[in-house]
Amino acid sequence: MFGDARISRVPAKFTGTRAELFWRLVRGYLLMFPTLGLYRFWVTTVKRQFYWHNTSIDGDALEYTGTPLQLLIGFLIALAVFLPLYIVFFYLSTQVGAVVMVGYGIVATLFWFLFGYASYRGRDFRLSRTLWRGIRFDQKGNAWVYATRQFLWSLLVVVTAGLAYPFMSADLWRYRYSNTWYGDRQFSFTGSWRTIAGPFYRAYAVAAVSAVAVAIRFVASGPETAILLLLAIPVGFACFFYYRARESSRMFSEVHLGAARLRVEIKARALALQFAAYSGMLVVAFVIIGLVGFLVTLVIQGQFDFTSLAGIARAGWIGVALALGGYLVSLATLGLMAEVYLDCGYWMLVARGATITGLESLSTVRAGDEDKALAGEGLADALNVGSF
Amino acid sequence: MEMEPVGRYYDGLVAARRYVTFALTRDAAPAELIIADRDTREEIDRWPVDALFEVTGLGDELRLGATGRPYGARLRVPAGEWNTALREAIPGLGRRAQLERGQQRRVLGIAVAALASVIAAYVFGVPVLADSVTPLVPPTWETRLGEGARMQIEGMLSNGVGFQACGSEFSQANRAIDRFAASVMAETGSPFTPRVTVVRSPLTNAFALPGGQVYYFSGLLERTETADEFAGVLAHELGHVVHRHGMEMLIESSATGLLVGFVLGDMTNLSVAAAAGATLIDSRFSREAEHEADAFAGAAGNRLGFSPLALATLLERIAADNTMSRTLALLNTHPLTDERRAALEAFEVAPTTTRPAFSEAEWQAIKAMC
Repeated sequence: MFGDARISRVPAKFTGTRAELFWRLVRGYLLMFPTLGLYRFWVTTVKRQFYWHNTSIDGDALEYTGTPLQLLIGFLIALAVFLPLYIVFFYLSTQVGAVVMVGYGIVATLFWFLFGYASYRGRDFRLSRTLWRGIRFDQKGNAWVYATRQFLWSLLVVVTAGLAYPFMSADLWRYRYSNTWYGDRQFSFTGSWRTIAGPFYRAYAVAAVSAVAVAIRFVASGPETAILLLLAIPVGFACFFYYRARESSRMFSEVHLGAARLRVEIKARALALQFAAYSGMLVVAFVIIGLVGFLVTLVIQGQFDFTSLAGIARAGWIGVALALGGYLVSLATLGLMAEVYLDCGYWMLVARGATITGLESLSTVRAGDEDKALAGEGLADALNVGSF
Repeated sequence: MEMEPVGRYYDGLVAARRYVTFALTRDAAPAELIIADRDTREEIDRWPVDALFEVTGLGDELRLGATGRPYGARLRVPAGEWNTALREAIPGLGRRAQLERGQQRRVLGIAVAALASVIAAYVFGVPVLADSVTPLVPPTWETRLGEGARMQIEGMLSNGVGFQACGSEFSQANRAIDRFAASVMAETGSPFTPRVTVVRSPLTNAFALPGGQVYYFSGLLERTETADEFAGVLAHELGHVVHRHGMEMLIESSATGLLVGFVLGDMTNLSVAAAAGATLIDSRFSREAEHEADAFAGAAGNRLGFSPLALATLLERIAADNTMSRTLALLNTHPLTDERRAALEAFEVAPTTTRPAFSEAEWQAIKAMC
C-alpha cells in the first residue's frame, strides 16, 4: 500500500458523523432524568466510545476500555475531598468582613490548584484505557508536580498580562507528552515556546491594539464607538481562531513516539466555520424551544382560573414546573450543541488533519506494565474539567 | 460469501496487526476458536470458547477478547456474513453481553435507589437537623452575620443616592414602631434586639435578617391600609427573627447545595443549574418558615390586640396588583395559599388588652413618615 516505507505518511481517519453522536447524546440526556443524573457516567462512556472507535490509524481503530462504573466510583471518592471544602464554604458564609474575602480567596486558589491535578489524572484515566493494536497507552509522571507547575505558571501568566503564556503552554505540553507512554515506548515533545511564539504574540498584539482602540473611543464616546466595537468583536474572534489553529497544528506536530512522528494541520478557517455552525444551530434550537414553550404556556393558561387564590397557587406550581423544565431543556441544548459542533468538530479536525510518519517503527512496541491504581476520574468529574 | 473468514488480530503483547482466518473446533471439548495467519496458515492461538467475551466495537463489527489472554488481545471481525455466522455459532457470547448489561443496569438501579433515599432523607431530615443545630449556634455569631447582611443590603438599596431610612430616629412613628417591636419580642426569651427600619423603596416587600434587623419598604407601606395590617407584617417578620429562620435557612441551603451538586455532578457548584435547583428545594423550607412566622404573629396579635387576618388581606391586595408575577408567586418568599389563609383565620383575635397595637395618631404618623 505504501510503496516506500521510509517516506510513508499514514493519515488518521475519522468515520463518525455528528448525527450519530447527536442521537446517542439525546438518548443519554433523556435517561438522566429517571436516574437522577447518575446516567451521566454512561453518557461519558458512550461518548468516548464514539470518538475512540471511529478514529483509526492505518486501518486500526482506537478502543476505549473504560466503564461507567469506574467513573461512578471515582466520583464517590472525589466526594470525600469535597466534603471538608464544603464545610469551609459553609463556615465562611456565616462570617463577615475581611475573613470572608481571604477565606474565599484561599478556597478558590485551592480549587484552581486541584483543577490542574484533576485534569492530569483525567488524562491518565483516558490514556490507560485506550488501546491501539492491542497495546495500551499510559500517563506517568506525577499529577501533583503537574498541578504545581500549572499553578505557578498561571500566576506568572496573570502577572505578565498573558505574555508568559507560550512559555507555560510549551512547558505543560512537554511535561504531559514526555510522560506519556505507548506500551513500553515513551513519547517525547520537541517543541518550545518558540514553536508558538509567533502566532501568539501576533494574535496578542492585534487583539490588544483593537481593545485599546475601543477603550479610547469609549472614553471619547463618539458615535463611531458602536461601529468600532462591532469591528473589534470579529477581530477578537479571528485572533482566537488563528491562534488556536496554529497552536494545535504546531504543538501536535512536535509530538514524537520513538521514530514515529505526528503531524497535524488545522486551518483557522475551519475552526471559524465550526463556530459559525455552532452559533447558527444554537439560534435555530432556541427559536424552536421558544416556540414550543410559548405554545405550551398558551394551552396551559387557558385551563386555569386566576380569580381564586387556589387557582393562582395551582397555576403557580405548573409555572414553576414549566420554568424548571424549560431551564433543563435549554441547559441540555447548550451542552448538546457545544458537544456536537465544537468538541466533535475539533476532534474531527485533529483526526482528519493528522498524519503519522515512521509508523512502521511502532510494530516492535511491547505492552507496558499495568496501571491499575486508577479508580475513575473522580476529581476531574467533580471539578467539571472539560475534556473528551 | 467470502471464501474464508478474515479478521484482524492483535496478540496484546506487541503492537502488530495480523490478518488472520479462524475456525471453531467442535470435536474438542471444550470448543475452541482457532486463529491462524491468513497467508502462512500457521496457527497463532486457540481461544477456548468459554473464555471469549465481546467488547463494544464500531457498528456491527465483532470485537472479541479472551480471559486468560493478555489485556489487549483482540480478534476483530468486520460486519458481514462471517461475523453473523460466528455470533450464531457462539451463543454464549450474546448471553454474556446480556448478563453484563443486566449487571450494569442493576448497579445503576441500586445507585439511583440509594440517591433517591439520600434525597428523601435529606428532604425530611435536614429541616429537623437545621432545627436542632440552630440553637447551638451562638446568638452573637448570628448577630454578626446579620450585621454583615445589613451592610450589604443597605448598600444595594442605596442605589447610588444613599440609603434612605424614613423618619428620624426619635420621630413619633419610629418610637411607636420600636415600642411595638419590643412588646412583640418580650416574653419570647429571644436573645436578639429588634431593629425595624422603614426604607424608601418602590418595592412592595418586607423582610427580616438574622439577628433582629427588619425592613419595611415604603412601597408596601403605601399599600398598607390599616394599623392591623402593619402590625401583622411586623409581627410576622419578627417571628422569623425569634425562630432564627435566617440561620436555619443558611444551614439548610448549604446542605441543599451539597445535594444538588451531587445530583448534577458539579461539586464546585459554580453552575447556574445548581443554584436554580437549590432555590427550588429551599422554597419548600421557606414555606414552612412562613407558617411558623404566621403562628408567631397570630399569638402576638392575641396578646397585643391586633387581627392577624389583616396580614392575609394585605397579601391578597398586593397579589391582585401584580398579575405578571403570579406564575412565580410560589418562588417568592411570602406565598399566600388558601391553607395559609385558613391557618391565619384560626388565630382570630381574642384581645386580652384594650389598648390597640398602634393608636390612631401613631398610625397616621407612620403612614406619613416616608
